[in-house]
Amino acid sequence: MSALEELAAPAAQTAHKVPLLAIFTAFVRISVMSFGGSTAAWSYRAVVEERGWLDNDAFVAGMTVSQIMPGANPVNVSLYVGQRLRGWVGALAGALGMIVPALIVVLVLAGIYTYLARYPLTHFLLLGIAAAGVGATFSMGAKVAMRVERKLIRYVFAVAAFVTVGVLHWPTVPVVLVLVPLSILSVLGE
Amino acid sequence: MARVLLHLILLFAPLSALSFGGGQTIIADVQYQTVAVYHWLSGQQFADLFAISRVSPGPTTLISSLIGWHLEGLVGALVATLAMYIPSSTVFVLVMQFWHKSQASRWRRAVERGLAPVAVGLIFAGAVAVLESMHATAIAWVTTAIAACVIYFTKLNPYVLMSAVALIYVGIFVVFPASL
Repeated sequence: MSALEELAAPAAQTAHKVPLLAIFTAFVRISVMSFGGSTAAWSYRAVVEERGWLDNDAFVAGMTVSQIMPGANPVNVSLYVGQRLRGWVGALAGALGMIVPALIVVLVLAGIYTYLARYPLTHFLLLGIAAAGVGATFSMGAKVAMRVERKLIRYVFAVAAFVTVGVLHWPTVPVVLVLVPLSILSVLGE
Repeated sequence: MARVLLHLILLFAPLSALSFGGGQTIIADVQYQTVAVYHWLSGQQFADLFAISRVSPGPTTLISSLIGWHLEGLVGALVATLAMYIPSSTVFVLVMQFWHKSQASRWRRAVERGLAPVAVGLIFAGAVAVLESMHATAIAWVTTAIAACVIYFTKLNPYVLMSAVALIYVGIFVVFPASL
């Protein structure tokens, strides 16, 4: 067995063990608390850190692909994790867990928002909760960054992605479609 | 009613399949179609629904569900939600089938290693984008920094964390109402 196969073996073994209901409930929990765009961060915590369903690299790769494919990123992340664990039914379980609770929350919120929006406290409170959600994203970014190989060329690609998308506000898809092949080529060239 | 439902599907399904880069890339199109073309919403109504979808957990594209709800109640919400997520999800699962099958190949390891640094840049870019879009004040930045440290260094339950933040914010609001 090669080193690569050994790496993949644990994931392959768990593939048939994770119940669909566990996938569904994991994403229900993530869905309800994913304020401030923190879905990927809470998914990382639940899937990689708490449950060990996927390793860091597999999750991060799937998350990046989720960002460039059509569809909302949170839904794509749930599809990716579910499909990796249990095929297309797993993907369905994950996506339902991600969408249904958020759908209920957004409809309830729409019902009471015009009433609540009159109060300054509402906006202040939502700002705080969203800010905490962004904190989850920063924490995840730091954890994933710690796992990146300590090589200058890797840092160059990380900084390039951050500056182009985060500072210059270039659209994600073309940036990723240029940077990722170059980054992979740099890996293959080593 | 059937006509409106059909129009909801005809509006959201193609946008879904073409929403490369995530939901935020099609919001401008949704606004144009629902306000200027179909006249389902006024500009202000769209802005209100967008604000609600922004502060809610989950994907921003749930604005499609709110538009469906606005037009045809629960049935409209369900039809719009399905139209928004089935096409993109089908494309995603079909394409990713090849990815999942190539498990442990040398090729995929290289892809994962190459994706990782780009992912790090995108994660931080996403965090900054959210802070910018919510016009983060100093207290929001401090909240983000403290939450990031708590989440990084502890295994505190996220619900406990979010509840604590909410309580602290209510406390600040009550004690220093003038400073806000």
